[in-house]
Formats: sequence, C-alpha cells, structure tokens
Amino acid sequence: MTAPTLSAGQLRGQRLRLRIRSWREFAGRFAKRREGLVGALIITFFVVLAIAPQLIVGPLETATTATGDRLRAPTGVHVLGTDELGRDVLNLTVHGTRVSMIIGALATVVTLFIGVLIGIVSGFTGGIVDSILMRFTDFFLVLPTFVLALILAPILREIIGTQSAIFGIRVTLYVIVVVIGLTSWASTARIVRAQTLSIKERAFVDRARVIGAGSWHIMRHHILPNTLGLIVANTVLIFAGAILTETSLSFIGLGDPFQPSWGQLLDAARSAGAPGLGAWWYFLPPGICIVLVVLAFTLVGGALDDVLNPRLRARR
Amino acid sequence: MRSTMRVRVARVLGAGALVAALLLPAAAPVAAQDEHILRVGTTQDLDSMNPWQTALVVGFEVFTLNYDLLVNFGSNLEPVPGFAESWSQSEDGLTWTFKMREGMLWSDGEPATAEDARWTFQFVLDGINSEDGFIGLGYLDYYVGDAGVTAVEAPDATTLVVTTDRPNDQILRTYVPILPKHVWEDVTLAAVADFQNTPTVVGSGPYQAVEWQTGQFIRFAKNPNYWKDAGGAEEVIIQIFSSADTMVQALRTGQLDYAHGVNADQFDALATEAGIVTVEGSANGFTEFGFNTYGTGTGNTIPDGGPSTPALLDAAFRDAVGYAIDKELLVDRVLGGYGTVGSTQVPPFQTQYHVEPTTPRTFDLELARSKLDAAGYALDSNGTRLDKEGNPLNLRLFMPDSESTYPAAAQFIQDWLGELGIGVSTEVFDSQTLTDIMLPPEAGDYTADYDLFIWGWGGDVDPNSLLSIFGCEQIGSTSDSQYCNPAYDTLFEEQNVATSTEERRAIIAEMQNIFYDDAPYHVLFYDSTLAAYRTDRFEGWTNQPTEDGAPLFGYGSTGYTLLTTVGAEPSPDASETAAPSGAPATAAPEPSADAGTTSGISPALLAGIVLAVIAVVAVLLVRRRRTPVGEEE
Amino acid sequence: MGSGYLGRRLFQALLTIVMIVLLNFILFRMMPGSPERAALRIPGVSQEVFENTRARLGLDKPVFPDQLVAYITSTAQGDLGYSYKYRGQPVAEVIGQRVWPTLILFGLGEIVAIVVGLTLGAYSGWRRGGAIDYVGNGLSLILYSMPYFLLGMILLVIFAVGLGWFPVSGMFTLGQSYPSFADQLFDFGTHLALPLATVSLGLIGQYSILMRSSVIETLGEDYVTTARAKGISETRVMTRHAVPNAMLPTVSLIAINLGYLIAGAITAEVVFNWPGLGTLTVDALTSRDYPVLQGVFLFLSISVVLANLAADAVYGVLDPRVKG
Repeated sequence: MTAPTLSAGQLRGQRLRLRIRSWREFAGRFAKRREGLVGALIITFFVVLAIAPQLIVGPLETATTATGDRLRAPTGVHVLGTDELGRDVLNLTVHGTRVSMIIGALATVVTLFIGVLIGIVSGFTGGIVDSILMRFTDFFLVLPTFVLALILAPILREIIGTQSAIFGIRVTLYVIVVVIGLTSWASTARIVRAQTLSIKERAFVDRARVIGAGSWHIMRHHILPNTLGLIVANTVLIFAGAILTETSLSFIGLGDPFQPSWGQLLDAARSAGAPGLGAWWYFLPPGICIVLVVLAFTLVGGALDDVLNPRLRARR
Repeated sequence: MRSTMRVRVARVLGAGALVAALLLPAAAPVAAQDEHILRVGTTQDLDSMNPWQTALVVGFEVFTLNYDLLVNFGSNLEPVPGFAESWSQSEDGLTWTFKMREGMLWSDGEPATAEDARWTFQFVLDGINSEDGFIGLGYLDYYVGDAGVTAVEAPDATTLVVTTDRPNDQILRTYVPILPKHVWEDVTLAAVADFQNTPTVVGSGPYQAVEWQTGQFIRFAKNPNYWKDAGGAEEVIIQIFSSADTMVQALRTGQLDYAHGVNADQFDALATEAGIVTVEGSANGFTEFGFNTYGTGTGNTIPDGGPSTPALLDAAFRDAVGYAIDKELLVDRVLGGYGTVGSTQVPPFQTQYHVEPTTPRTFDLELARSKLDAAGYALDSNGTRLDKEGNPLNLRLFMPDSESTYPAAAQFIQDWLGELGIGVSTEVFDSQTLTDIMLPPEAGDYTADYDLFIWGWGGDVDPNSLLSIFGCEQIGSTSDSQYCNPAYDTLFEEQNVATSTEERRAIIAEMQNIFYDDAPYHVLFYDSTLAAYRTDRFEGWTNQPTEDGAPLFGYGSTGYTLLTTVGAEPSPDASETAAPSGAPATAAPEPSADAGTTSGISPALLAGIVLAVIAVVAVLLVRRRRTPVGEEE
Repeated sequence: MGSGYLGRRLFQALLTIVMIVLLNFILFRMMPGSPERAALRIPGVSQEVFENTRARLGLDKPVFPDQLVAYITSTAQGDLGYSYKYRGQPVAEVIGQRVWPTLILFGLGEIVAIVVGLTLGAYSGWRRGGAIDYVGNGLSLILYSMPYFLLGMILLVIFAVGLGWFPVSGMFTLGQSYPSFADQLFDFGTHLALPLATVSLGLIGQYSILMRSSVIETLGEDYVTTARAKGISETRVMTRHAVPNAMLPTVSLIAINLGYLIAGAITAEVVFNWPGLGTLTVDALTSRDYPVLQGVFLFLSISVVLANLAADAVYGVLDPRVKG
C-alpha cells in the first residue's frame, strides 16, 4: 500500500501521523458519548487519588498514627468519621483507592495476557490446537470461577511463600491479582479468537505469509494490533469486573489488613459491627467508591465499544 | 393496543406478585418467640459433637451440656455435685471415693452408675498409656494425668474409687465428661476419631443435643432424667453466626437471648439498650507477643528454618524489647479498655495463683535502646540494629486471621520496634497454615520458620494447662515459643505434686517470675470476654465466677441450670442440692425432634416451594403461548 | 438435526464434567500442607498413626493411576471425602445439608430477576430515552456496579435493623413450633425476603441491561424496519419480533453466566447468615477445609453444566434455527 520508496523513519512518522489523526477522530467521537465522558471524568478523579493519596490526606494512618477516637461520627476534623481504631475513614478510603486500583490494573494485565495469548494462538493456529484451547476456554467460561478462586488462593499463597512484600505491594494482594487473572480470562480469549479468525482471512496476513513471516511474527505484528480496539473496550470491562471480584474476595477474608483495599475496609467495617452500630460513615465511603468506579468503567466500556467497534454494534 | 400491552404487563406483575405473596408477608413483625427456648449465639462454629475430637470453646460448652462432669463447677468455680453427688478423700490423700445417686438414669432411660464413670476414666488411662499417649485430639486426657490417677474401680453401682500417685485435689477439676458405657464401649481408642456421636446424644447432663446442622445451630432438649429439676428452658439452641454484627442484631431484635463474644463498640452500644444486660467477664487467658526461641536449652538448630537470628534465643534481647511495648496503650486502643495489662502466663482470673512479677518492665524506649546496646546489639550507621553476628535485625511477625485485635496490636509493635532500629514485617495467615509454619521438626516434617508472633491462649480452672505450654517436652506439641528451661520444668513437676495449696502457690509464683524475666512471650493483655443477654424471657443469669465472670461459656453447665423463665418459680440452687432427687422411675422416652419443630427444610415446605415455582413458570408459559392469539385482531 | 444438536451438547457437558473432576483431583494434590496431617489436625502423632491415616486416605499409593482411579470411582459414587474441620464427617453429608437453601435462594432469585429484569429491559429498550428507561437503566447500572454483599448490608440495616420488618439472619426462627404449615411457610418467607431481594436485585441490574441492549439491537434490524414499514403496530413489532428475538441471546448469556453469578449469591448468604453453600464455602475457606471447598466447587460446577445443558435444550426448542 505505502510507496516502497519511503524510508523507515518516514514510515514511522507516517504511522504516527495516522495514529494522531485517528486519536483525534476517536476523541471526537468519544466526547459525543455523554455517559462515556462522565465515566472518564470519574475515572480520572480516582486515578488522581490513586497516584498521590499522601498529598491529599497524608500518609496511610495505622493503629499507631491514628488521630481520632474509636468509631466516631463525622466531624470537622474527621470529615468521614473514624474506624474502630480511631483511624480517619477518609484517609483509609483514599489510600484504599490506590490499593484497589493497583489490584484492578494488575489483575486486568494478567487477565488480558492470558486471554489475548490463548485467543490469538487459538484463532490463528486453528485445527486441533484451536479445538483444545477453545474447549478449555469454554470450560473456564462455565465454571463457578469465584469458588475456583477461593481454592486457588491458598495454593498460590503457598507457592509465593512467606515474604511479606514485593515492590511495596504485599504478597496477599498478589495472590488476589493472580487468582483473578487465572479465573477471568475466558471471555477475553473468546472475543479475541473471533476477531483473529476474521483478520486472518484478510489480504495483508496472506501477504505477510507469502513474504515468509513466521507465525509468531504475524500474530505479534499483524493480528495483535488489529485486535487492539476490541481489547481496549474489553479491558475496561475486565477492570470493572476485577474491582468487583477483589472486593468480594477481600470481603470474605482474603484481603490484607495492613494494606486495606475498599473491599478490605468493608470487611473490617462489618467485623467491627459498623452496619449494626449505625456507623454508616465507615462502610458507605468505600462502598460508594466501588460503585462509582465500577459504574464509570462500565460506562466508558460501553462508549468505547460503540466508538471503536462500530461493526460489532450493528451485528453482534 | 395499549390496553393489551397493559394486560400483559399486569400478568407479568401478577406472576411476580405470586412470588411476592409467598415471600413477603405484610410488615412481618419478628416472629413471636417460644418462651421456653433459650437461644445462645456465638461466632465459633462447632467442629465435633465427640468430646475427644473438639478443640474449641463451643465444643466444650456443648459436651458439658450433653454430659455431666464427675464433679461440676459451681458459680464460684468451687466443686459441686455432678455425675457424683458426694466425695471424700482418704487420710493419706491417695484415694478418692465418689458416691453416685441411687437410680440415676441416662437421658435414654438406661441406669447411670459408677461403672459408667469407671469405664470413662479407664478409657482415658488406656489412652494415656497407649503409644500416642493421648485420646482423640489430646485436649482432655492430661487432666487425668495431671491429677496423678493410677487406677479406677467401681466396687458397686454407686461407688467409684480413684487411686492417685500423690495427695492432691486436681481430680475435682478434671474436665472429663462421663460417658454412657452402653453407647461408647464399642468405640476403641484407635477408632475414637471416627466416632461422630451423631445426635440424638445420650448423656447425663441437663440438656442433650437432638439436632446439629453444621455451621448453623445445635439444638438441645431438656434431659427428662436429669438428677435435679433445674433449668427453666425446655430447649437450648446454640446458634452459630458468621459475624458478631449479625449476632448482635439478633440479640437486639429478640431472636437471641445470649450473645457470647461481642466487640468493644458493640458492647458499649448494647449497654445502653433497655432489657439487655452486658457483662465483661474477666479472661482466663491472654494475648501474647511471642518469640521463636528454638534451640534455647537444647542447642538444636533447623537447617531450613527456625529463628532468623540467634538474638531471639537471647533472654537479654527479649527483655530489652519488652521495654518498648506500651501495654496500657494497647489495652486502651486495641481493646477499647476491655481488658487488663498483661504480665505473667497465669492470668489474674486465677486469683489463687496469679502474682505480679517482682521486677516489672515499664514502657521506656530509651531504656530499651540502652539495654540493647548493653546486651551487644549495636546500631549501624543507618540506624539499623545489628545482631551479634553483625547482621541487620529484620524480623518476621506472624499472626492468625482469627482476631482483628492481632493486626492492630502488630501495627503498634512494628512501630515500637522500628524505634529501636529493628525491622518488622507483618503477615497474616489462617490458623491452620500458621500452625504448620510454626511447628518444629519434633512434630514431623516442619521447620518452625518464623521469628515473632501474636496469638492467644485460654486456660482452665486449674493453672496447669497454661503453665505447661513452656515445658521442654511441649516442643512439637503445644509449645509455640519453642522455649525450653529445665529449671522451669522441674518447678512444674514440683508444683504438680505439691501437697498444700500454699506450697503450690509459692512454686507457681516462682515459675511466673522465671517466665516473665526470660520472656519467651510478652503477655500483651488479658482480654475480657464480652457478652450480653436479654432479661425478658429468662432470669437467674448468674456470673461464673460471680464477681467478674459471665453467665455462660464458663466452666461446666451450672449457668444453664440456674436459669428460670421469667415469672416462674426459681429452681433450687445448685450448691444446695446434694440430696438425690428421687429420679423419675418411668423410663422416659429419649428427647427427640418432634415434627413441628424441625428446623431444616421439611419435605412439605420444599414441595410447597416447588409448587409455587411451577405455578409461576406455568403462568409465564401460558402467557407466552397466548401472546400470538391475543394479538390477532 | 434437533437430536444431533442435543447429542453434541450432551457430549460436551459430559466432557466438561470429566475435566472438572480431573481439575479437582489435581488441585487437591497442590493444596498446601499434607492431607494426612490436616486430616489428623494434631502434631506429634506417632509414625504408626500417621501411616494408618495415610493408608486410610489412600495416599500411600502412587498418584497415577491408583489415586486417580480411586478418586474417580469414589467421586462417581458420591463419596467426596471427609471434612477436616468437622473432624471426619463425610463431605457429601456436610454439603447435602446446605444444598436446598442455596437452590431455593438462587433459584427463586433467578426467576424473579429474569421476569422483572427482562420485562424492565425490554420496556426500557422499547421506550428508549423515556422516563422508565432513564430511571430503570440508571438503577440497573448502579445495581450492576454494586457488590451483592454491600446491597445486602444496606437492606439489612434499613429493613431488619432499622424498621424491624424482617429477621436479621438464618432461615427459620430456630426451635419455633408451628401450628400450621402456612405458619412455617410464613416464617420461612420472612427470613427469605431480604436475601432474596439482594440476589434478585443484583441480577435484575445485569439482566435488564442485557435485555435492553439486545432489544435496541433487534429494533435496528432490517426485518423490524420492514415490519414497521408494512404498518404493523409498534406493540406488535415489539411482542412478535423484537422481544422474542432479543430474548434468545439474553437467555443464553444468562445460562453461560450462571457460574459467574454464583459469586454474588455466596456473599449475599454470608451477610444474612443464610445456611446455604455460600456460607459453607466461606467457612470452609476460613478453616482451610479443602475437601469441603472442593466438594462445593465440584457440586456447583456440575450444577452449572447441567443448568447450561437444560438451557441449551430450551434454546433448541425456542429457536427455530436450531430446531430446523
């Protein structure tokens, strides 16, 4: 398609320009989707909280550095009240943002990695490999993955061992990340495979093959980029799902009391008896944050889906 | 057109309403309670109905309801009649003679005699003399061993003679349920772990389990043949809750009469409610901050495990660390004030034996630093404390996930030790995994790979069990500090054979001081047991001990037998009834679940639900079928 | 083709079940700690007792083929091993006590959610942009974004603790004697109301969103446009064309998602102390009772596979393309 006289550098520049143009176009179309825009704003807000919680509310309060009385209703000093150790709930919730978002992001990466790999390999290779991989995928699709996650958690904990933190993130949280990744990749694999099948038939893949490109090369350089639109829309939904799953896992006791996520805070609130004591300020803030973030990602996901995959919209 | 759509919507709504009608009674008040059922809530799930196979407080509560102890515990933990109505000790103190009641019956109507008691004690002795040296989980047999029992005989149906190897009165505090021989005699020592003791249980206690739904509740019926007329409740239900929050709400709304184990904030809130009484029971147990001292006294090492630094084996190091712990702050902040500052391994609950250490530590970070310096643990240029080999002290602090107070206390300890230049990393495990991590090679293929821990212990009426944890031979068994000190072991033996209480008290005082100074643990606090009960259906709630205990979940079944329904005649006091209460001659039928009170899902109910569902589905299908027809116009 | 379709589905379901059993076998062997020690739960037993327990659990034999064969045989016979926590009670018995409560809660929840969710979704999709769509879709999105247990906690605080309309926990008033069957049903109903509301509200959110987009999609199809052009009434277009066609993909999505949706029921059960498989699962996790945990997994997985099979059968009946 491109003139063969272009140098590599020019080619790159050309591509960049193309990308920018399509990005502008994309942004324009996305901006027309009102709910997508609202979702993006909410996400931006929480990303800011997650990046610099200490700038907003200071360092994470521990039992030692707690500044308030036990389980006090909101006051001017503690805008969202305190927990059963006298820690400021606003402080905990804002720091929980970071933990929840990091778990969500890492889990999404793991999910995507497995899902995209299996989807592309399966769709591209076809034949017996495809059958086996897809049988495996369907198998994971129907499993009660939440229960599977509960079974996998102790196994992973055993494998990772007893060290307490890697890169400042506690091991317990990695367990949650991997567990979510291992149990939620199946739908991604399905979608990516479908897309791969249709791309595979297109001319440029044949051309690459004729030139003598290897399978891995074609998958990486031709198929993967063309499934990106789909993957991006899917990513956003996976993220929402990951946050929800993390919340449930933490709630039933797989969280980490030393690095509390929103789900862990809800669990702590319940064991402190906050619902029964009428301490709404303890469980509503993390609860509302979860709802807002999941809602925002779902809205953005819907909007992205419409913008990036117009054909899918016409015919599912 | 619109109207047809409306009709259809109405039909769908109608289908929904059918479901709703089945499920949503208009403004249902909380169901009226049967006045004669005592409902007790706890957050601990029963593990086994078999007394030899339970390791939990709730399990002990259950078996003392099912079965009498030979001698029961009164409201002040004094010995009161249980399976035996009276007892005497021989002149030389080596022989105990117990008298059973004439004509006493098991709950199934079989005669309950001294032979049952003999069989039970002989079973325990056989267990102690077996290769394993214990029965089941091994939580009950040591009572008999510590009492020095060598032989039991039942010369006649009402007489039990127990011979001991030394004069002592621990036999009166043996926490061993007397089992019906006619039910248990086929259970061998090897097979005891497999015996489920499925309800209906046959026992001699005030109430027998008639139904157990795992994870939900245990339902007990009053023993028609109980040797005295006691206990106002016709039924007792111990209900298991997945969270204290739900349990507290159930108590407040009247679905529960007694809640065992509420937290500090719930306790405060309940204290202000009318009709609810809160009790802070002084704890016969503690929460400790412990060290892995594996190798102390033995010199043993573990190739791929054990403590990460020899500093943990150094009493001077542990002592210095003790000055960096502000126990008063912990009680205040972590327990909300409901507990007392910890010192020795014998809680103040044991008023006879507890002593405060002669050289107590104070909270003084500066002193802690200078003591560490003096003991040879210097700071490096980065402010990190080094052990004697020159390695930085970075210790791992583990705790189980069973209590939210543990991570809270851990955060304080982490900070305080940080002030001394000692790095602490914290980690939470489930209890089972943590047990596996902490066990040493003596118990099998384990490596005791930990440094510090926070965990807790609960004690008996007798101080023996809490004293024994620090014995050398407990390494690989109950010891979690791997502490070994032959001098301590010698004293343990001496106190066990002490012939007078004064003598025993003096030895136990010495043991407490050794423990405190050597500090395999820093006992953080004696956390109170917080309970609450309603007074609208039952009265006669009696704390055990009366001064600072709680009515239920204490020792033995006395608390249950003292309850009466509101407005009823009080039952005779336990301590006063020594006379045999002419046991009912009629062979009463065993207490069983009568059809009306089955608590599971009955087939009839199931059928009802299935029918309702079918009805809904049918309505939907009919609607679907008719749609096209209705549309033709 | 009808029987061929079902036959293929049946074969796939069987294959899936075999895979589940195999997965369970492998997972159990990966669990931390040694099973014989976990079953004993006491350190420091004699080597003899240890060996006996090993032999009793069949762990002295090679993993393949002996242990695998033994596992498959016993599983096929409904023997799921023994609980660690409940000191050797058969897992099948422990699970058996908890199946009905979950089946009732989740089953009724599904029915209510399908009826209400699909109706709401279809109406919202039809009257897109209308008041009901606006409110209904917004509400659905919020419900969809809310963890079930949070919804449960909120309902509990308002209706059980605050207003006192419903009991806070359990399935029956324990020990209550009922003068009549109706009273027992009534008691059960009051206990069921809040957990059921939690489960169905959570599901309604998802189902109405699914149905709404599905209806919107079908309304854009050519045949709908044609039908409209022919002057067929809106109502009829909806009921005869859009809804039935939108229903099929929605129902199949619901069936596929069953396994995923169980997570919600599990956490909802925990909030209300509902004595079903959910509370059992969480208890088993807390006490690391792996045999029970795996038994629940096996049971739920197979149930989901069978439910899917049933959905496929229904689908085959409903969808002319499959039937043809």
